[in-house]
Amino acid sequence: MNKVDEKTTSRRGFLKNIAASVVAASAIVPAALKAEDDPALIKEPEWGKKLGLPVDKYLYGQPSPYEHNVQRRVHKLLSSGDMYASVAMCPIQDLSGIITPNGLFFNRAHGGVAIVDPNEYRLVIHGLVENPLVLTLDQLKRYPSESRIHFIECPANGSTGWRSPQFNTLQFMKGMMSSAEWTGVKLSTLLKDVGIKPEAKWALAEGSDNSHMGRTLPVEKLLDDAMLVWAQNGEALRPEQGYPVRLLVPGWEGNLNVKWLKSIEFGDKPWHAKEETSKYTMLTPSGKAIRYFWPMEVNSVITSPCPDKPWTDLKKGDIVEIEGLAWTGQGTIKGVDISFDGGKNWTEANLKGLVLPKSWTRFSFMYKWDGKPILLSSRAYDDAGFVQPTIDQEVKVMGVEAIYHRNAIVTWEVKANGEVNNVHIRS
Amino acid sequence: MFTLEVKKLSKVAALTLFAATSIFAANAKAVDGGVDYKVVKGTYAGVYKVNEKAENAKGFKYGRKPTANELKATKIAVRYDWEGLPDGKGKVSDGDELFSKHCAMCHGDMGTGGKGYPKLTGGDIETLKNQLVDPEKGDEPPERSIGAYWPYASTLWWYIKTGMPFPHPMSLTNDEVYAIVAYLLSVEEIQIGGEDLDDDYVLTKKKLMTLHMPNEKGFYPDVNGKDGVANMTKFLSDGKNYGTPTKRCMKNCPTGKVVHIKAKLDDGIIPPVTEKKDLPKETGAKKADSKFAKLYEAKCSACHNNAAIAPLVGNKDAWAARIKQGKDTLYKHAIGGYKGMPAKGGNADMKDADVKGIVDYMVSKSK
Repeated sequence: MNKVDEKTTSRRGFLKNIAASVVAASAIVPAALKAEDDPALIKEPEWGKKLGLPVDKYLYGQPSPYEHNVQRRVHKLLSSGDMYASVAMCPIQDLSGIITPNGLFFNRAHGGVAIVDPNEYRLVIHGLVENPLVLTLDQLKRYPSESRIHFIECPANGSTGWRSPQFNTLQFMKGMMSSAEWTGVKLSTLLKDVGIKPEAKWALAEGSDNSHMGRTLPVEKLLDDAMLVWAQNGEALRPEQGYPVRLLVPGWEGNLNVKWLKSIEFGDKPWHAKEETSKYTMLTPSGKAIRYFWPMEVNSVITSPCPDKPWTDLKKGDIVEIEGLAWTGQGTIKGVDISFDGGKNWTEANLKGLVLPKSWTRFSFMYKWDGKPILLSSRAYDDAGFVQPTIDQEVKVMGVEAIYHRNAIVTWEVKANGEVNNVHIRS
Repeated sequence: MFTLEVKKLSKVAALTLFAATSIFAANAKAVDGGVDYKVVKGTYAGVYKVNEKAENAKGFKYGRKPTANELKATKIAVRYDWEGLPDGKGKVSDGDELFSKHCAMCHGDMGTGGKGYPKLTGGDIETLKNQLVDPEKGDEPPERSIGAYWPYASTLWWYIKTGMPFPHPMSLTNDEVYAIVAYLLSVEEIQIGGEDLDDDYVLTKKKLMTLHMPNEKGFYPDVNGKDGVANMTKFLSDGKNYGTPTKRCMKNCPTGKVVHIKAKLDDGIIPPVTEKKDLPKETGAKKADSKFAKLYEAKCSACHNNAAIAPLVGNKDAWAARIKQGKDTLYKHAIGGYKGMPAKGGNADMKDADVKGIVDYMVSKSK
């Protein structure tokens, strides 16, 4: 009250008000726009001259409409006939850090995305166990929870590159993977009371969706770091990720992280499900196929630059950060090497941010570009002792018909004009 | 070592068993040949804090024991040793009819493909050594058909029963599944007990259980014996088995020539990739999907969104002659079936009125 009085009645307050209105008036009259000025700075923008959206406009928030091109994408070649048995690729070229927003997480389904009623959700644990168990969702969520950051990658990620380079966008070269913080109960905790019988060596995890996805897992993995998860990045799993419950087997083939999980059966033999025989097996040049290849191998890719994020705005002599993603399903990323000459010579990059087991890991290298063409590659290695192979090294053993588990080094051809292309280096 | 301990401890509670093995396995590799991380002093893998009292807690009383009936309904898997295979029988000629009715629209006549969905038959085990490196040099691909590639027929039975027909799985009776399995095996010229599967052949549980597929031995590692898991760990631990090195070459490493993209696939990406930051185009007021539009998506679109299988909804040319026949004919064909179109699109439980509503919707979209 006193302050208002002072403002409006005292001489001192009166003078102050005059001064304020003079300042305001000068702001309303735009400064004359000179050639060197940026109108974006000189002119008051539209959004500064009116009310924004009311806070209750979106009670579940949306990205800026200007970001609408950051989205999952599909391609008929990557489907089995339609968009029900297909995959929508994650725009990893547009992601920052090591967490994928839930709406952009890659979406692979074998019979459409099931919408499961959580009230009718049941999980059955049975087979070679002392105490078979049925749980409702609420009961499952009563178990103590843990949270872990892990990527999930489809083993077919990058499979279009076995013969030759075919896509010139990172989204379709490596977008069959994403990463999240998952929350749920460790299976080793839940299974203590269930009591696995000693003769049980294997388990069958089954989904309740159209495809009734079943996959065989060794008991050792379930008791190591596997979890039953109900949350991703702080909210309930999205339907595309198996709402309300999926199995999480950190670092292993995406398909093994069974979604819409309805049962786990323990047995003394592996089952040999459809995705362990007709698919998800790797045919080698001997005519024999590798099966049960569980982990996703050490891998990396430079995300900036990439074909989608070229250097066309850079000038000769500019200093620029080369940035990328490295990941391994068999341990923790230990380091990443960078090559500027197609893999002849390598130099160590830096890791940055969180370096976690079976997780995306960011790497960084500061570079002064002389404006000349380069062949830019990254090569990751992990604490299990594995090093990302060259294309020649991988194809020599696997041939080109394996379809799955392609983790060879990716090379970008950076041209003098800053354009970036996906190329292969072959002897 | 592991097996030995299991035998010794076979009567000990599971918890004790796993505690014991983890001590034996200290410093050993994880089951996938990778690093075996542990919780040490409340920290997992050196990074995550863990409440060990929570992680090691037991005595939870949540949930209940499933009933015998519930377990029976839950068990739908058919293991490679035939555990889980129900009784039943089916004749090859019945399977032929069922295949034409439920499967051929996607998998092609006799499962030979050509419709955009997987080809099932017509492969050859000899082609599995093929490597399609360069089609211009006349390289042929391996043909991974059921008879040429699949190691076990149990997978075939399980797959058809629980995953097919694609738009409405779990709708075939066990006898129908036997018949379709028999038919596909006959197309693939598989014999059972030295006997050809001719049209009158009746496949039974007993006969099927004697079948060994031609490519049963075409897979490695050996995961079926008592050392199955250990075999996998051994295989995965050695990167040489799958072209992954363990040494980093840093200077003057072997390299090669630059290979560019020949035929870019980017044109087929939906929607096209762009890094533009702009506002989405106005699409006008979006009408709420009608009941029949939703039914169409759920029941009919698997075929009618694929021109290779059925007249594509929205394709005016494909529909002009059909619309001319009049609604009554279209209703009749949709409800009763016509050529490749199964009765009610295979959704036997759908009401006639709903089928008619869907037909109206499809016609309205295709005029």
